[in-house]
Amino acid sequence: MPRRPVGPWRSGWRRLRRDRGSLTSLLAVSVIVLVALFGGATATRVFGHNGDTPFLYAANTDQKAVGPWSHVPTPKSPLFDAYGQLQTPPKGTKTTLFVLGSDGPLGRDELIRLLDGLRTSLEVGVGAMLVSLLIALPLGSLAGYFGGAIDAVVSQLTETIMAFPLLLFLLFANRYLISDFRSVGWSWVVPDGAPAEALLIGVFTAFYPTRLIRAELFSLRHAEFVEAAHMVGASNWRILRRHLLPHLAPTLLVWGAIAVGTNILAEVGLSFLGVGVQASVPTLGSLLSTVWGTIFNPQTYNSQVYTPWQTVFPMVAIVVTVVSLNRFSEALRRAMEPRETR
Amino acid sequence: MRIASYLLGRSVRGVLTLLTMIAIGFALYFAVERQPPVADYFPTVQKGAPATKQQTDLVRHLFYLDRSKVGMYFTYLGHLAEGDLGHTKAITLDAAQNGHIVDAGPVAPYQALRVTLSILIGGAVLVLLLALPLGAISGTRIGSWTDRAISFGALVLVCTHPMMLGLILKSVGGKVSWLPTSGYCTFLSHNPPSSVALPNGTVLNVPPSYHPCGGPKDWATHLILPWLTFALLFLALYTRMIRASVAETIHEDFVRTARAKGASQMRVVGRHVLPSAGLRVLTMVGMEIGTAIGVCVYIESAFGDGGLGSLAVNTLGGGLGALNLPQVLAVIVLITLIVIVGNLIVDMLYVFLDPRVGLQRGQQRTKSLVGGVF
Repeated sequence: MPRRPVGPWRSGWRRLRRDRGSLTSLLAVSVIVLVALFGGATATRVFGHNGDTPFLYAANTDQKAVGPWSHVPTPKSPLFDAYGQLQTPPKGTKTTLFVLGSDGPLGRDELIRLLDGLRTSLEVGVGAMLVSLLIALPLGSLAGYFGGAIDAVVSQLTETIMAFPLLLFLLFANRYLISDFRSVGWSWVVPDGAPAEALLIGVFTAFYPTRLIRAELFSLRHAEFVEAAHMVGASNWRILRRHLLPHLAPTLLVWGAIAVGTNILAEVGLSFLGVGVQASVPTLGSLLSTVWGTIFNPQTYNSQVYTPWQTVFPMVAIVVTVVSLNRFSEALRRAMEPRETR
Repeated sequence: MRIASYLLGRSVRGVLTLLTMIAIGFALYFAVERQPPVADYFPTVQKGAPATKQQTDLVRHLFYLDRSKVGMYFTYLGHLAEGDLGHTKAITLDAAQNGHIVDAGPVAPYQALRVTLSILIGGAVLVLLLALPLGAISGTRIGSWTDRAISFGALVLVCTHPMMLGLILKSVGGKVSWLPTSGYCTFLSHNPPSSVALPNGTVLNVPPSYHPCGGPKDWATHLILPWLTFALLFLALYTRMIRASVAETIHEDFVRTARAKGASQMRVVGRHVLPSAGLRVLTMVGMEIGTAIGVCVYIESAFGDGGLGSLAVNTLGGGLGALNLPQVLAVIVLITLIVIVGNLIVDMLYVFLDPRVGLQRGQQRTKSLVGGVF
């Protein structure tokens, strides 16, 4: 009795398991996702305050934020002297720990904001990836499988859109076309504006997977197994669904991991343009743009208030997340498409 | 003949792209500007008085809402063919609060175009200058520590955002006294006038020590940081590509022959291995022009150079109030033209480097996914 051959998923997993670098990237991405999903809520529990509560004592009298690992006094009522100046609280006042310092004159916890921001950014990244997949699958399949006039139209469209800088479209659409949708959200789990941003980024980056799917199907549509399926009378729909789409899964998986990363960067860009989610909602981009300001409203450097960690921590978070996603996508490609070397 | 028809085909495609983009520009404008904002122009209306027919018509005219859209499209193309990007119009009120449409000057974003082209071309040259040696070094030593360090460094750089990289470089460059961190200087220097007449009649003498910024040296020092930002961001793509190409070619027979003839490693890599990477790099340059302009938006704003990118941001989405049709179209036309002309140059170089090009019609140019979208 011959043994059943190993399927592509299982053999891919075996290849991934064998490579130390690939395993590391898988671990890194898993940790980032877990931290993003549960980090904010856990930290809120542990430290007893959330990322939106301002603390008067988390910024000094010059409105300079306190640094990392500060114990911030939390008196029942803040103590002002006769001139309205904040007074040092008496000894023995209860304190709360700000692990990464506070986020600015408002005095909110940078660590919890960072964790919440990571979650929102990942939500936007994954959401945008799914939206563009939803658009690209039908468009790319039609163009790649049927060719001809549909293909000509879709190709000209993608080529034209890709010739133009994407963010200008994003800017335009965000300002004029979807302003009503921007307040859609679901409590703190999906903050207001995140779905709108995911939709925006997703729609305008859908052209990349469309091309990818089209190119893949173009090379597969005359393969022997497709002709065989035609021969036994399978419909176009069945061939696409049962015979061709499974072939796309590895490519789309590799693309998906990278796309989440680039979408996170796109979100950072939109925040700098001042058209991201509302500034009060923490995302990796808005954490940076509250310090640096936006393109239309740049913040001037003020040495009295300036604190490096407010820029360093979000930047590190962005780079680590996007690098991990990139490496993970690379690992997936090595595991799923071993013949292709680049 | 085949080459000529190939280039002709590419040009026709480019013109089609331009026509499509202008049409998209018109469509976007008329999708947004449907209601004439009469109150913005007439204080009486703002205070609550009903808008008269004459006032509404005037504003409708100002916003191009009273004309045939198709006819306007073709009129615009006609003007564009003559190199005319149109004029901005405005409404002025006379003493009786009657509005008149006046010409507020031609749309001339040429200074912005100069800034962006300076950043793009200089940045592209710098990318190649950095990526060629780095790619060659890691391609000849695949798997070594040098190779890994170069690849990882490039990966980290491509995973940053242009604005982040620009602001980091700006704060580092701010510590170097001779390195300006913002502003743009023209390539040609202008001699300042010896005296300036003020509107009230007094004449001020310009001190001889005054030199306005300008000239090749000022131009280059002001652009060093933008170029560096641009180059570091795109380094990963090109280093990776050159590395792969070098690693493939280094074991070819003709390379071994060159070695056997006694050529040094430098000569082997420089004369025999690297040229074959040229085609791939060229393809990449052609595909990345659109992305590069998007990156320029952030670079320009990080370093305060008023380029085409900043102009585009201001006209397309940032400017308060209404859109300005000629300005919107000018931005779209210029950016698309940069992409099209850049691609045509790439196509011509292609023909020059690889005469087989006309034969490979079906050749797919798929965009590499790393590097992403900005």
